Amino acid sequence: MKSLDPRVSRLPETGNSSPKVPLDQFGTFEVFVQPKEGKPFQHEGIVHAPNLEMAYVLAKEAFTRRFTCISIFVTETRNVYVSALTDGDEDAYDHVTKVASTSGKETFEIFHLLKRGKQHQHVGKVEAGSHNEALWVASQQLRGNKQVFNIWAIKTSGIRFTKQEDLDLWNTLGEKKFRDAAAYKGGDKLKSFLEKTAQQ
Amino acid sequence: MYGGGNTFEGIKSDELTGEDPVKLAEFEARIERGEKIEPSDWMPKLYRKQLIRMIEQHAHSEIIGALPEGTWITRAPGFKRKMALMAKVQDEVGHGQLLYSAAETLGKSREAMIDDLINGKSKYSNIFNYPTFTWADCCFISWLVDAGAIVNQLANAKGSYGPYCRALDRICAEESFHLKYGHHCVIYLASGTQKQRDMFQEALNRWWPPMMHFFGPSDKISVHTEILMKWKVKMGTNDDMRNQFLDMYVPKIWELGFTIPDPNLKKNTETGRWDYTEPDWEEFKRVINGDGPCNSERLEVRRIAEERGRWVREALRTAKTEYVTPLA
Repeated sequence: MKSLDPRVSRLPETGNSSPKVPLDQFGTFEVFVQPKEGKPFQHEGIVHAPNLEMAYVLAKEAFTRRFTCISIFVTETRNVYVSALTDGDEDAYDHVTKVASTSGKETFEIFHLLKRGKQHQHVGKVEAGSHNEALWVASQQLRGNKQVFNIWAIKTSGIRFTKQEDLDLWNTLGEKKFRDAAAYKGGDKLKSFLEKTAQQ
Repeated sequence: MYGGGNTFEGIKSDELTGEDPVKLAEFEARIERGEKIEPSDWMPKLYRKQLIRMIEQHAHSEIIGALPEGTWITRAPGFKRKMALMAKVQDEVGHGQLLYSAAETLGKSREAMIDDLINGKSKYSNIFNYPTFTWADCCFISWLVDAGAIVNQLANAKGSYGPYCRALDRICAEESFHLKYGHHCVIYLASGTQKQRDMFQEALNRWWPPMMHFFGPSDKISVHTEILMKWKVKMGTNDDMRNQFLDMYVPKIWELGFTIPDPNLKKNTETGRWDYTEPDWEEFKRVINGDGPCNSERLEVRRIAEERGRWVREALRTAKTEYVTPLA
């Protein structure tokens, strides 16, 4: 292929392509970011990745290239148990019914959606034998005064958290000033150019 | 940050029939109150269809838009410019990721979107079918094409679909660097040697017609535009967006002593809007339908990338995974 881009000109010929097969772009993972110490983790969006570890790396690239953040975590979308989304002044916990306690408890992370149009925030952990029980226990332990539009419960064991050795990931942000608008102050150059042209 | 001048499919008169009138009224009332629509909310089929089309086009534009600027990474003038351009191109590809994810929440898989891009079924912003002959062409894109896109994106960020608005908020936050960087590049060319000034003037002459096309054909208010605006899918007419861009950037271009290649371009003091020579919409249609200077190259690059990466994706794919629609 003849191109203005020498790298494109060097591309090898390939045969005709066939349509993508299902999951060619891999599974779906939800990404949560903690912006500051003391602030809750907040849902940010998704990445596609072949496994949990790659999802973590790609999440770091997709969501924390700019903004300061101290920690992220990722989990497969299918691990997220979602309550019904409510409307008006209806609280999502009003639809949660009591579930008999079972043995074999696991830890679940609970998230609340406090405003429609915003994203879910982490509110705490509960011990339960099933997702449904986790919502019930959360209604007893984590329900506050604010209306909750939607609740998520995620098994803690399915989450890839930030480890101590990962913290270095964000240490290089400070060296990358060339990615900030503040590095491109053209005002002085423009001013002297305008003064020069005004004199001519 | 390359969304702009979306082409909406004509709406057939029967497309709204068959919708539950009670649900439709609730849906419209929610938008009227300024609330966002979320993926699990009920929505009319037409709303879903037009949104998928719009967000998908926007995502493709980010990915394809990385190519004309990427052309100059290997030959950027100096290390600082090279670092900045690489960071900018990386941002654009990242924006593509965010937008594909938002479109997926409406039920179209990423695989299907990429297939439709490569086989020519989906469109992307027409302006990226033009070549970047010189460094100055690259600077034109970084400054002015980005500026045009920001005008559109700031408007669309106030739209009604939650996941799209949230993706746009993230994208706009990164755009400020692009715009400042682009302006910085052009100030340096403008205040440089005569040869540098000539180089930018020539780029401006080449890119002005596609820039005017960027916002899309003049859309007279029709029933169709009305419903998309009522549902806050479309946040302003193409002419409004074009006019806003001219308002903000023509004075900045003139300030640098460049001429815009349209003798009729002037602000009409009576209407408060810009007069200009009507862009050549026949050319616009021709290029969008595949006959532009770089259409085949742009798609071929994407196709080859897909083919060359296929074995890696196959090696990484695990049988255990199943497709799940993203949550929000």
